[in-house]
Amino acid sequence: MQLYHIALNNILRRKAKMLFVLLGLLIGVATIVSVYGVVEAMRAEMTRQVAKFGANIVITPDAGELTFSYGGITLPAVLFDVEQLTGEDVAAIENIPSREVIRAVAPKLLGLATAGGRHQGDADGQNVVVVGANLQQEFMVKPWLRLRSGEEMRSDEQKASESGTVPSGENAPAAEKEMDFAMLDLAREDLTRLVLSDEQILVGSSLAATLGVMEGDLLTLSGREFQVFAVLKDSGSAEDEQILLNLSAAQALLARPEQVTVIELAADYTLGSEGVLLSELQEALPNVEVTSLRQEALRRDEMITRLVRFGTSVSVLILFVGMLVVGLTMSGAVRERTREIGVFRAIGFRKSDVAKIILLEGFIISVLGGMLGYFVGMAVAYYAGPLLANMSIQVPWRLDLFGLSVLLAILIGLLACIVPARQAAKLDPAEALRFI
Amino acid sequence: MAEIMIAMKNLTKAYKSMGDEVQALRGVSLNIDKGESVAVMGQSGSGKSTLLSILGGLNPPTSGSVEVDGIDVYALSQEKRADFRREYLGFVFQQFQLIPYLTALENVMLPLTTIKKSNREKREIAGSVLCRVGLAGKMNRLPNQLSGGEQERVAIARAIVNEPPVLLADEPTGSLDTKTGDEIMALFQRLNQDGLTVLMVTHNPENTRYMSRTIIMKDGQLCTDKAELLQLVSAGKR
Repeated sequence: MQLYHIALNNILRRKAKMLFVLLGLLIGVATIVSVYGVVEAMRAEMTRQVAKFGANIVITPDAGELTFSYGGITLPAVLFDVEQLTGEDVAAIENIPSREVIRAVAPKLLGLATAGGRHQGDADGQNVVVVGANLQQEFMVKPWLRLRSGEEMRSDEQKASESGTVPSGENAPAAEKEMDFAMLDLAREDLTRLVLSDEQILVGSSLAATLGVMEGDLLTLSGREFQVFAVLKDSGSAEDEQILLNLSAAQALLARPEQVTVIELAADYTLGSEGVLLSELQEALPNVEVTSLRQEALRRDEMITRLVRFGTSVSVLILFVGMLVVGLTMSGAVRERTREIGVFRAIGFRKSDVAKIILLEGFIISVLGGMLGYFVGMAVAYYAGPLLANMSIQVPWRLDLFGLSVLLAILIGLLACIVPARQAAKLDPAEALRFI
Repeated sequence: MAEIMIAMKNLTKAYKSMGDEVQALRGVSLNIDKGESVAVMGQSGSGKSTLLSILGGLNPPTSGSVEVDGIDVYALSQEKRADFRREYLGFVFQQFQLIPYLTALENVMLPLTTIKKSNREKREIAGSVLCRVGLAGKMNRLPNQLSGGEQERVAIARAIVNEPPVLLADEPTGSLDTKTGDEIMALFQRLNQDGLTVLMVTHNPENTRYMSRTIIMKDGQLCTDKAELLQLVSAGKR
């Protein structure tokens, strides 16, 4: 016989009362777990969405008043006499302390070139926007970019052939037939295979249609001949009208060696660490504009902050009520057990032993309440989370929360039992046994 | 000369009841020898239970002192007094006061709860004491599965499991029929013969037959009038 035997037996005997105490703790813990689970899942989803959004920091030369717009980003007018970004600036980014939060660094050079199609007469003299970039990094900051698959290519070619817009067959260069079509079905995770030579280009879908070029065709840009490595899938973005090629190839084509027009960064920062990253970038690149595209993140983070505040308030309130329920119920149970406690004291239990029995009862129920609270809370978060968050979220079963839930329940349960335990310890045994 | 086990000197106890001061004990002095068995009789409100609770270290007297085996009980701190009760005293309460959610064996093990022994040892000790009081086959029954006499035996077993030198009993046969009451009294007598000093508060004059001495309390004092004692005993017999 140990003190915990007494505590355990009493719990089993007063099932209804103890169930009430258990419920108080369970609801408190479950609320906190579910709110925490939902909020964390929302954060994860937002990070995922922000990552999907691609670049979130844009570095441009300090242009003063002379600007033009590229994909919604204001850029300096490259033809004017402003200080250009260079490869050194790109290297400087690699050396900042917060480099590890930057997922991709995508420098690019923008310019205009004169296009001549496979049939020189078709598109002769048309100005096209060429974008020289590190293509793997570019695809990382622009997750919507896809290469047209071999199947799509063949189907498009078929349609074009039927309508007679694009000559095919014997007129197609030999290189087309040698194209590795499997190469065109690049998966996102397989960007390492996206390696172009300086004589190869990617053409936006709309531009390809306008120029009448397809994969494997040759296209002349400002007098230099390039092979169309692939056509980009229609994405509804500015890239549909552009030509992508290696940065070095663009620098040679546009006769702007070492120059870079804009550097886009995809960084996995939270709002708290954003300031640090931006100031580090500004310090590393003192004469440039560093712009954060954080409006969306800010709006969502604000929403989450509000939800956290609301959830925390509700949780604290519920926990407080739970604590009150535990305290009052245990206090009532102590009053009911006056004689029993008198017997304990008369047969030699110290005050501390009596207090320990009450605290042990609180402890046992708290452990149980914490465990059940975790499962109920996670279940609520799992099933009702998407509804509560009004977002498509997946709440994972977080085992690390299990221990925390139990610890929290123990803390609350023991705190609530302090008063009843003191009350029990202070009982006068003579009075309890009605000797006086 | 017999060794004194309990020495009460000039005990007084006053307490407030409904705003009035009640004098429960008025200068009680009494010595009880080691191995003696004493019945305390008296009418309700005469101070018997107060005397028992003071002797049991549960109720500090307003003045006076209590020594048990040479220990000044009320000179001890509250926690030390709890240890003293566990080691020196066994209590048999009115209406048994068994813990309803513990089995007979567990009830008997209760006083052993706070001492450093393995559960197995505690079970063995409690089991042997239950055998001693004649409840070998009912160890795992809950109190409500036992008869009044059996519950009383469990209460006695619980009181003696720590092998205390003094056994205090408050109306132990009050809720038992005559036959069972006699059996219980015979058990007390046997325990006394085994060396236990017994002090029993009782209303039943029949019980005095099993005790070596009877004292009468009246208005918070010991009554030494033999005629009154005889009168009380005969009143009980009627």
